[in-house]
Amino acid sequence: MLDDLRYRTRALIHHKQIEDELDEELRFHFDRQVEKLMRSGMSEQEAKRQARLSFGGHEQVKEDCRDARGTGLIELTIDDTKYALRQLVANPTFAIVMIATLALSIGANSAIFSVINGVLLKRLPYDQPERLVRVFLTSQEFPKFPLNPWDFLDFRARNHSFESMAAFTRGDVQLSGDGEPVRLNGFGITSGYFRVLGLHPQLGREFDFQAEVPGNGLQVVLSDRLWRTRFGADPNIIGRKITLNMQPFTVIGVMPPGTEHPGNVYHSVAYGESVDVWWPFSFGGNSNQRGSHYIEGIARLKAGVSVQQAHDEMNAIMAQIGREHSADGTGWRVLLIPLYSEVVGNTRRMLLVLLGAVGIVLLIACANAANLLLARASARQREIAVRLALGAPRLRVIRQLITESLIISLTGGVLGLALAFGGVRGLVSLLPADFPRAHDIHVSWPVLGFTLLISVLTGILFGLAPALQASHTDPKTGLQQGSRSSTATRPQNRLRNALVVAEVSLACVLLIGAGLMLRTFLNLLHLNPGFSEDRVLTASLSLPHQRYKTGEQTAQFYSRLSSTLSQLPGVVSAGAGSDLPWTGYDENNGGWTIEGKKPDPHNETHARYHMATPGYFSAMGIPLLEGRFFTEADKKGAPWVLIINWAMAQKYWPGEDVIGRRISFEDNPKKDEDWMTVVGVVGDVKDQPNSPAAEPAFWWSEYQASESDMSIAIRTQSDPRQVADGLRNAVHQLDPELAVADIKLMNQVADASISTPRFTFVLVGLFAALAVVLAGIGAYGVIAYTVAQRSTEFGLRVALGAQRGDLLRMVLVHSAKLAVPGTIIGVALALSLGRVMQTLIYGVSTADPLIYGCVILMVPAVALLASYVPARRAARADPMQTLRAE
Amino acid sequence: MTGRIELPQGTLDLLILRTLLPGPQHGWAISERVQQVSSEVLSIQQGSLYPALHRLERRGWIKAEWGTSDNNRRAKYYELTRTGRKQLDAETEAWRKLAVAVEQVLEGA
Repeated sequence: MLDDLRYRTRALIHHKQIEDELDEELRFHFDRQVEKLMRSGMSEQEAKRQARLSFGGHEQVKEDCRDARGTGLIELTIDDTKYALRQLVANPTFAIVMIATLALSIGANSAIFSVINGVLLKRLPYDQPERLVRVFLTSQEFPKFPLNPWDFLDFRARNHSFESMAAFTRGDVQLSGDGEPVRLNGFGITSGYFRVLGLHPQLGREFDFQAEVPGNGLQVVLSDRLWRTRFGADPNIIGRKITLNMQPFTVIGVMPPGTEHPGNVYHSVAYGESVDVWWPFSFGGNSNQRGSHYIEGIARLKAGVSVQQAHDEMNAIMAQIGREHSADGTGWRVLLIPLYSEVVGNTRRMLLVLLGAVGIVLLIACANAANLLLARASARQREIAVRLALGAPRLRVIRQLITESLIISLTGGVLGLALAFGGVRGLVSLLPADFPRAHDIHVSWPVLGFTLLISVLTGILFGLAPALQASHTDPKTGLQQGSRSSTATRPQNRLRNALVVAEVSLACVLLIGAGLMLRTFLNLLHLNPGFSEDRVLTASLSLPHQRYKTGEQTAQFYSRLSSTLSQLPGVVSAGAGSDLPWTGYDENNGGWTIEGKKPDPHNETHARYHMATPGYFSAMGIPLLEGRFFTEADKKGAPWVLIINWAMAQKYWPGEDVIGRRISFEDNPKKDEDWMTVVGVVGDVKDQPNSPAAEPAFWWSEYQASESDMSIAIRTQSDPRQVADGLRNAVHQLDPELAVADIKLMNQVADASISTPRFTFVLVGLFAALAVVLAGIGAYGVIAYTVAQRSTEFGLRVALGAQRGDLLRMVLVHSAKLAVPGTIIGVALALSLGRVMQTLIYGVSTADPLIYGCVILMVPAVALLASYVPARRAARADPMQTLRAE
Repeated sequence: MTGRIELPQGTLDLLILRTLLPGPQHGWAISERVQQVSSEVLSIQQGSLYPALHRLERRGWIKAEWGTSDNNRRAKYYELTRTGRKQLDAETEAWRKLAVAVEQVLEGA
């Protein structure tokens, strides 16, 4: 055994020497045989012939000896590699073009795969994440709705499907005490929240059940990030009191780094390590009040319980609750969504489309590489014929050629990986604002594996066809042809043409995809947003209930702030609203009564609701269509007023004059103050730029409804950033402990909401451009090669009187014969793939005639352009030179 | 060429080892010797001789050294090693047993 190993190692190390010795040995044998035959009276020639016959294939014998040495495979690979490297060095342009295109496309694939790996493939960072589900309610009107706290307690008490169940609700808190007050991202959580996720504090403990009772909840768990940045990673933090919302909270735990909150659909909190603090959720009020829905559920399935089983059980419980509390519960069903789906959401389709696009680029690069190899294989026909004639088995020739293409593809892969490292960083910076798991995107081991895999597959893919073709070379004709300029056989030409047709069609598909994304993006950019985002500064404030206990106090704060802000130099108008356009809305509000109209039992009234101060609409540039905006007089005690949007006016009072109409939220409105009067109609703003239409919405006067968390909007004459300091000062004059958070331009806010289509457009566009360039190179290569092949023919034609224009036309027609069918196939392919893009596009049909028209014109034009240079060369064919060469 | 028979599997190694018993030989001499001694019945093709030599060398039964042939050319001489000798004994023994047994079956049938 040891001998064996030693022998093989030596055979490998002294490979060259052993090969030479084998040659010498075989030559010795051959010579002795010839001598012997000559002694028996044969002529030298005859003796050599006989000896050669008895010898069999020289190459084959050597091959068998290598096998016998047990090092055949390794030696062969070393040989092949050396040989391939020599070939590549001898032909550097060829090598550089191939490696560069492959590096680009493999790099792009690896970068996209890094995103897919981080977002779709990597497990969620919880123990057995497949058992985690999010719990929602659903009804006909609202596909996905938060839970009612009391319903949640019943769910938790009665179910047998879940190992543990918890609920949470998001809220901003102010941390003050030392330094500038900051606003923190916090979650009120029920007991069991961390148990559901399988997470444990790195310091201290989590909340006990007692903390769910109101008044017992002044406890807080910190995130690792907050603990480090704000408290210097103080190990004695446990038990310390910190000031949150102007109340003393006791720190009871610190979560480990990387603790991620599992998403929140209603407030679109970015998924990830965005939470600063957790505090115990307090159940307050009356357990019979089941109407308000504002907490989100998450649960861990018991082992072996399926989502469907849990779903069925939960719905039985929901039906029971509905019977027990007939006031509510009707029409609500429980909706369980596996956490993974909830987190990954819509990005899945987008990523798969991107992977498809980048995969197409790789395919085109492969087709190009195959084409170049085919061209070279026919130039190397003579060499291959010689090797076959010397008895090299066909498999051996194929191996040799595949080794060559693998070296090219692996080099491309290594360079591609280097590109991917840079590319991923670029990609992450381009990612849409609400992209899930963005911090999980890295070039990691799976990405390395993927790159290796596609490099090898690529090498085989583009190397196989040329290798098979070349190994079919008939030694005899190969040698004959090889003696002069090499000529490709007909099937070779057919294969090369087919590859270009395929490239052209794939490039068409990508171009059409890019066109759809471009139009989507332009549609969103040029869409009438319903507001004007230029020169508007926004920020958010939240007034702690501990200091601003009454509605009057809140109203007074925002009123005074608005008037200070309006007086700042350069300010056109200033106001506050419960939310900014395109950042989502709070909740739906249903079940109100319209004065003078019979309620429709099957169609509950509903509308988005917001709060606004008088200056909000003009600061935001939302136009007044009828009536008036709010005024300072619309405060507590004054008659309740509403401003509605155009969509609400159209839906509930179609064709009527709506100013002065009234609605009520009371079940049985009798008194005059039960009614709210519509005083103004404003223009529509959609929930999101790509929503199909604006939903009905209304605004309460902030001075009557008194929401404490508001977004500030300030419209200025020039650069709105100049009022940022004025805003901070104004807030701190009113209350030095308030944090002014999220200071942003409205431009940025609006921009973030179209970042997903922009991201997709940029990438698909980039890939399409790459595809077109590659396909152009491919077309150029094939045409140039054909022209070179046919130079004699062209020369003869000129000699026989053909006009140069004729030759030019001949070549261009050949190019058109590749481009036209390629385009047709591409268009057909794109039409059939259109469905895939459906959810990613906006305001454009997947069969948009403009895009198809452009692509149909553009792709053949590029192909013709690519073949123009070789065509010119053909037209310049010199008959004299051709004839002399003949 | 008539009268020659195909070598049964595994016999080639035995023949080579046995041919090397008297002393070192180069490849051509081995094939000549086998042919001669077997009265031209057995002939080893180069296509199987050299891979077999490499295989035996890898197993450590023979070792190779370069020497000068009778016609004054450099030739590779193969020589039995000690394990090769043991192997030859064992294989000869096995072959004899096999031959006797086959013979008995042929006689008895």
